[in-house]
Amino acid sequence: MLLGKSVTEILALIKNKKISSKEVIDYFLKRIEKYNKKLNAYLTVNKSYKADKSKKIKVPIAVKDNFCTKGIRTTASSKVLANFIPPYESTVTKRLIDTSFFILGKTNMDAWAHGSSTETSDFGPTKNPWDLSRCPGGSSGGSAAAVSSYLAPAAIGSETAGSIRQPGSWSGVIGLKPTYGRVSRYGLIAMASSLDCPGPLTLTTEDAAFILKIIAGKDEFDATTAPNEVPDYVASLKKKKKFIIGITDEYLNGVDCEIKNAFYQLVEILEKLGHKIKKIKLLSPKYSISVYTIIQRAEVSSNLARYDGIRYGNDRTFFGSEAKRRIMLGTYVLSYGYYDAYYKKAQKVRTLIIEDFKKVFKEVDMILAPTTPIPALKLGEFEKYPFFGEMMDVLNEPAAIAGICAISFPFGLTKKENLPIGLQLMGRWFEEENILNLTHQIEKETDFLGVIKKGVKNYPD
Amino acid sequence: MKKKSLSKEDVLQLSKLAGLTLVDDEIVKYKTQLEETISYIENLNELATDNVSPSSSATFLKNVFFDDGEKNKRGLNLEEVFQNTQNKEGNCFKVKKIFGE
Repeated sequence: MLLGKSVTEILALIKNKKISSKEVIDYFLKRIEKYNKKLNAYLTVNKSYKADKSKKIKVPIAVKDNFCTKGIRTTASSKVLANFIPPYESTVTKRLIDTSFFILGKTNMDAWAHGSSTETSDFGPTKNPWDLSRCPGGSSGGSAAAVSSYLAPAAIGSETAGSIRQPGSWSGVIGLKPTYGRVSRYGLIAMASSLDCPGPLTLTTEDAAFILKIIAGKDEFDATTAPNEVPDYVASLKKKKKFIIGITDEYLNGVDCEIKNAFYQLVEILEKLGHKIKKIKLLSPKYSISVYTIIQRAEVSSNLARYDGIRYGNDRTFFGSEAKRRIMLGTYVLSYGYYDAYYKKAQKVRTLIIEDFKKVFKEVDMILAPTTPIPALKLGEFEKYPFFGEMMDVLNEPAAIAGICAISFPFGLTKKENLPIGLQLMGRWFEEENILNLTHQIEKETDFLGVIKKGVKNYPD
Repeated sequence: MKKKSLSKEDVLQLSKLAGLTLVDDEIVKYKTQLEETISYIENLNELATDNVSPSSSATFLKNVFFDDGEKNKRGLNLEEVFQNTQNKEGNCFKVKKIFGE
């Protein structure tokens, strides 16, 4: 009865007394019991649900393990925080709990969110539900895998540059990266503070809109949150808007043939639906990789300096190899004599990238592109190339650097290996409404070529 | 791509600045990997930025300040402050001596 139901559908069932919150939560706990050993999507499962007297409706949701959850272990998948119990609640989880969610568990990720495979987790990799010999993507790989295999009806992830969209794409679910500052970072274990964005991974566009509405908005505890009003993202899905959509060769260079085919197939469908497609020119994404590498490592080295093992957590000898590599590079680019050559240069190129998008967004409402150049890699393939993870996020990093919003959704499977293909829409700053609106139109027209439903069916009750 | 090189001493100096202890294997590994990355990011020099001002963030933010004397709603009580540490003595954190005997 529940298999594959979205958050919105489950809420309706509970409201109409077809099922109780407790039954729903028990259902997912049972599924986690059955499949989590195989997938390693959850690091911590929360079995503490008790129906209280208020009978408040609660729908379960999975949360990436870098959001502080009061009283629930939070590790960021690093042994440095192996036993850390947060004394406070992150704004995102607080807003979820205060409305109608129950934190079902904390999901695996690349340690400190450093990676694109979930293999750098100190607690073992998460497996891709579509092929257990492959990565789910990362860093929000546990969240993506949990939704794809229906071990949660939705999940929260966080993205610094690709960490929601890329695992969404590889695991065959929807991943929304909101505009920087749209969602509070308070209580999110900081990776690169000028880029980090919390966002949902879901089975339907409606759920992405529903969850964004709850978690978005000004937060007095995060001065970088924007004061812009939060629109009713769900209600605005119903408007039949027509858009001008930009496409660019810069985002198709070196992209796998089958992914390109899916891209052109969608372009045709969008034209048929009455949208205009326009060729645009953007800076090569290769510069975003460099900007991201410098800014992210610099901010990592500074943010991870606080982990001294004195007030909480273990000491710095517990850092894994990827975290150490990033701290070292960050220290290098910030060190005396190199600051101007690297950090300042990267900040200037960030300006160029922002200006580049501003210019393009005068001509088009949003940009359509593949999310990743290739489908999911095998476990272990990343390790061979220390810089390889960045290459898997090459199409995601420009939007992250510019701080704009973007959404990845599945669009078909590869023929040979039956792996999900992901495409993305990138929209103007604070125009989540529009990218959600078009994704919803695509969903209604194509059902994402059946990918999400097939994914869930692979994991029967 | 021009290859940048680092010495073993450079790597050791970085690890010292970052408060990390490396073993010999790691020194060799990180030396190669850092060189590779530093060489890649040189591509930014293909872009002219002389008259460009740096951006510290993308969403046009202004500084936000709390009013003086405002209550800090994020404060933790002592139990919460110490709940994750073993380095506690009285109501203080124990740390290593910074100055010599």
